[in-house]
Amino acid sequence: MAYAELHCLSNFTFLRGASHPEELVSRAHELGYAALAITDECSLAGIVRAHVAAKECDLKLIVGSELRLVDGPRVVLLATDRSGYGNLSALITRGRRSATKGRYKLELDDLTADVPGCLALLLADPLPALEHVQALAACFPGRAWMAVELFRSPDDAERLAAATELAESAGLPLVAAGDVHMHAAVRRAMQDTLTAIRLGVPVFDAGDALHPNGERHLRTLGDIVQLYPQPLLDEALAIAAICTFSLDELRYEYPEELVPPGQTAIGYLRRLTEEGLLRRFPPGTPDKVRAQVEHELALVEELHYEPYFLTVHDIVRFARQRGILCQGRGSAANSAVCYALGITEVNPACMEMLFERFVSRERNEPPDIDVDFEHERREEVIQYLYAKYGRDRAALAATVIRYRPRSAMRDVGKALGFDLEQVDRLAKSMAWWDGRKVNPERLAEAGFDPANRKVALLIRLVDELIGFPRHLSQHVGGFVIARGKLCELVPIENAAMPERTIIQWDKDDLDALGLLKIDVLALGMLSAIRRALELVGAVHGRPFAMSDIPSEDPTVYDMIGHADTVGVFQIESRAQMAMLPRMKPRRFYDLVIEVAIVPPVRRGGWQ
Amino acid sequence: MLWLALHFHALSLEVFTRGAAVSEPLAVVEKQGGRTWVITCNDAAEACGVRIGLAAPAAQALADDLIVRKRDPLAEQASLEGLAVWAGRFTPSVSLVPPDGLLLEISTCLSLHRGLANLLKQARSSVREMGYAAMMACAPSSHGAWLLAKAGIEKAIREPARLESILATLPVALLDQPPAVVEGLEKVGAHTLGECLRLPRAGTARRFGQVLIDELDRALGRLPEAHAFFEPPTSFERSLELPAPVHAAEALLFAACRLLPELEGFLRMRQAGVQELEIVCRHERRENTILKLGFAKPSRDAGHMQLLLRETLGRTRLAAAVHTLIMRAPQVVLLSAASGNLFQKSREADGDLLLERLRIRLGKDSVYGIETTADHRPERAWRPCQEQSGTAAANRHRPLWLLPQPLACHDGRLKLTSGPERIESGWWEGSDVARDYYVAEDRKGAQLWVYCDRASGEWYVHGVFA
Repeated sequence: MAYAELHCLSNFTFLRGASHPEELVSRAHELGYAALAITDECSLAGIVRAHVAAKECDLKLIVGSELRLVDGPRVVLLATDRSGYGNLSALITRGRRSATKGRYKLELDDLTADVPGCLALLLADPLPALEHVQALAACFPGRAWMAVELFRSPDDAERLAAATELAESAGLPLVAAGDVHMHAAVRRAMQDTLTAIRLGVPVFDAGDALHPNGERHLRTLGDIVQLYPQPLLDEALAIAAICTFSLDELRYEYPEELVPPGQTAIGYLRRLTEEGLLRRFPPGTPDKVRAQVEHELALVEELHYEPYFLTVHDIVRFARQRGILCQGRGSAANSAVCYALGITEVNPACMEMLFERFVSRERNEPPDIDVDFEHERREEVIQYLYAKYGRDRAALAATVIRYRPRSAMRDVGKALGFDLEQVDRLAKSMAWWDGRKVNPERLAEAGFDPANRKVALLIRLVDELIGFPRHLSQHVGGFVIARGKLCELVPIENAAMPERTIIQWDKDDLDALGLLKIDVLALGMLSAIRRALELVGAVHGRPFAMSDIPSEDPTVYDMIGHADTVGVFQIESRAQMAMLPRMKPRRFYDLVIEVAIVPPVRRGGWQ
Repeated sequence: MLWLALHFHALSLEVFTRGAAVSEPLAVVEKQGGRTWVITCNDAAEACGVRIGLAAPAAQALADDLIVRKRDPLAEQASLEGLAVWAGRFTPSVSLVPPDGLLLEISTCLSLHRGLANLLKQARSSVREMGYAAMMACAPSSHGAWLLAKAGIEKAIREPARLESILATLPVALLDQPPAVVEGLEKVGAHTLGECLRLPRAGTARRFGQVLIDELDRALGRLPEAHAFFEPPTSFERSLELPAPVHAAEALLFAACRLLPELEGFLRMRQAGVQELEIVCRHERRENTILKLGFAKPSRDAGHMQLLLRETLGRTRLAAAVHTLIMRAPQVVLLSAASGNLFQKSREADGDLLLERLRIRLGKDSVYGIETTADHRPERAWRPCQEQSGTAAANRHRPLWLLPQPLACHDGRLKLTSGPERIESGWWEGSDVARDYYVAEDRKGAQLWVYCDRASGEWYVHGVFA
């Protein structure tokens, strides 16, 4: 007994799939599936999570996508190799880009252009028209199947017979699939609830839109064998064997234009660094700094991170040219190279640099340089990136917006038929600091009996729904730039903002695949500093720059020691102001410790 | 112009007798000149020897059970008006000739009723149905027709010349003249209208009055006639006194049916139908019994109503004997005349009728249609409905007949013939349904719809395939 599931939706097919990709993978592994394809509807948003989970348990994962063609049947495309993956990703991009945010539009014609490297499974329910079957068979010669999905409905035998006949007349082989919406049957209520939310009706009015039973889960091999003729199961295994593509094959390739022709990346980076050191240390680079720089460059070369530094340098240089204040922050402050390149302002001569906190051979993940820009002028920087690399090579990373207790409560409440006023009251009882679980005590406070059957159902479903992805939004500033077409690496879709496009992966997905993004963040405080510098310049009658500010000015530390810090970024909170008179910081490093101990309050505009 | 005259020669008797199929001997008496005389009586009374002109006590002496009723001019007037309403089914131009005649102008409606012969046939049978008798005659003038009808010459005459020759034979007593005039005419030897017409006009006018000349001219169509046409009432309410109190439903039905043609005429004239009909039964010293008839659709077909009346009355137990029946249509609904089907009766009408009959027999709430609802649970996949909206698409995998409650089934000898159909739904209510359904055959070959409850493993019968 062996089976490979080739048609399975995760909850990244929003409001249809009722299980996390990780749950699907681990369940398929438990059941002894030979392989699992994650085929979210016109999306690859959940595939990285599935990939990570599959690697952990050593399950073969197949990358695919279910597509509902406007003028034709439903098909599932599966990527067999890297080029097939790229074509699939590009196809999804085309579908997504030609519709408004959250939707897609693909026609049969989009497929007739052929998607090399992909296999097509034509879904037999509802039975497609013969002409569509023939059209698909023609554009996927030898790579198309008719997928039969049986769910213990009374007409299973008839449907199988009809599909068989149709497939034969078009010369297609048959294969078994499961239209999986959830990892286990226990999610049936969740799946029904999602359907109701999607349709905007209470679940008891959803009627035939609900599935008649919970069979769309990963079924046991025993069940599968009992349901399908053996040849159809063998065919599924054969298809799984053809699909050899793994996301591990994706290699991030840095843009080429960063390095002038005839130069190597490390050579160019070294040159820029030397120029920077000359500017930073006119009398000559201190030995300590020199050693640090050599150490860093060696590591960067070894890990091939040169293009990354060059990319950030390019952006910072653009900003400086335009007079846009910008500042690298985070662990990049541990880099002398970054200081030399003008990305950060922390002088390695005065500091102990821990470069390994920034770039590490052991972690094997790309460095993360977050650069803040004046919030009012960040758009110029973004437009510069789009202009320089083109929209098919640069896009913002996604942020997966997930159900939180409040939104989950609101949607599940509506789906269970609670009235609007109740739903509101329920949602209010779920303040965000309640964490990720429903608190029955809070429900009781809001006037609901947690023991009531309906309320108990609500609690259960809300707990399940919390953490489900709801939609993709744009990341605050994480840019992904590719050497070739970005859409062949990851699908791109429209964001809510006009003229903004996002990729279907978020920061975690990028990290997991070792792909690189550059955070172009907006910081209001930088705008304030620029204006302050202008005012000081006006008083002094000459331009006053950031580097003109004297460092370690004792009078400043006196003020800080008296907690006179209203409006001072990072140390203005009440907790900070209570701490400062006791800590009495006298050096910049003391402040670093201070901020590390008492975290500044998160504010909008940066993360 | 063509006029149809109807002379209800026995109206004063019929107002008492027509409520029943057969009547005990009955005589109608009227007081004239200080004495009470029999002015008319029915066949049963005649058989006992009662004759017109007999003194009332003498008549009563002839038969012990003779019912003697005083002539009721008001009832006669009401009946005549009822008949005028009925006549509205033929033509809107109906004129009353009190106390016992109707004049109908029918030239414009002949083709609607497929010719004169057909119209007369219809009128005759309808009059009989209502329990009346009438003499009918047609002529180009209304008065001519009326004289023919009164004379009992049931002819349809269209040519004025022929009318004149026939009228000439009628006795002058038929004329609408005071007895003195009639007597005077007879004295001068003018016994018939023909003889009357041969008298010199000027002298006759001087001696007997211009009215006589005018009446003759009108009868011959030489003088235009003025008519006050009957204005039909806006609502329908007719009462019918029964000759003797009755208990039996059959007898009540008979009486009620007497009124149906009038109702139909009324509805036709108003181009309306009724959705509800009230039958009020009046009892001696008791509260009235009110019966209501509901129709699936507004109707004005007497045959249809009769069927429903039969059903309703057949199911009614009367508290007491009924002496008077009142039929009223509280509300009429405008109804455009439906185009009939040329070749066969429409099946829809049959369905409506069946539905109405079942509702009456089983009670309004016991008869309903079913429609499918979108729910996967079989017991929730249908619901009763009063009005069928569209056609419900039946699921061919499910039996039409579901048991009210699934029946626990311990018979191990059932043979599963197909399945399973897995149904898992309804978790949001009471209990989650999780069942595997099979079609099963029992030992007698009956096809059952059984299921295995997935939670308990118990088996149940849920339906029976027809």
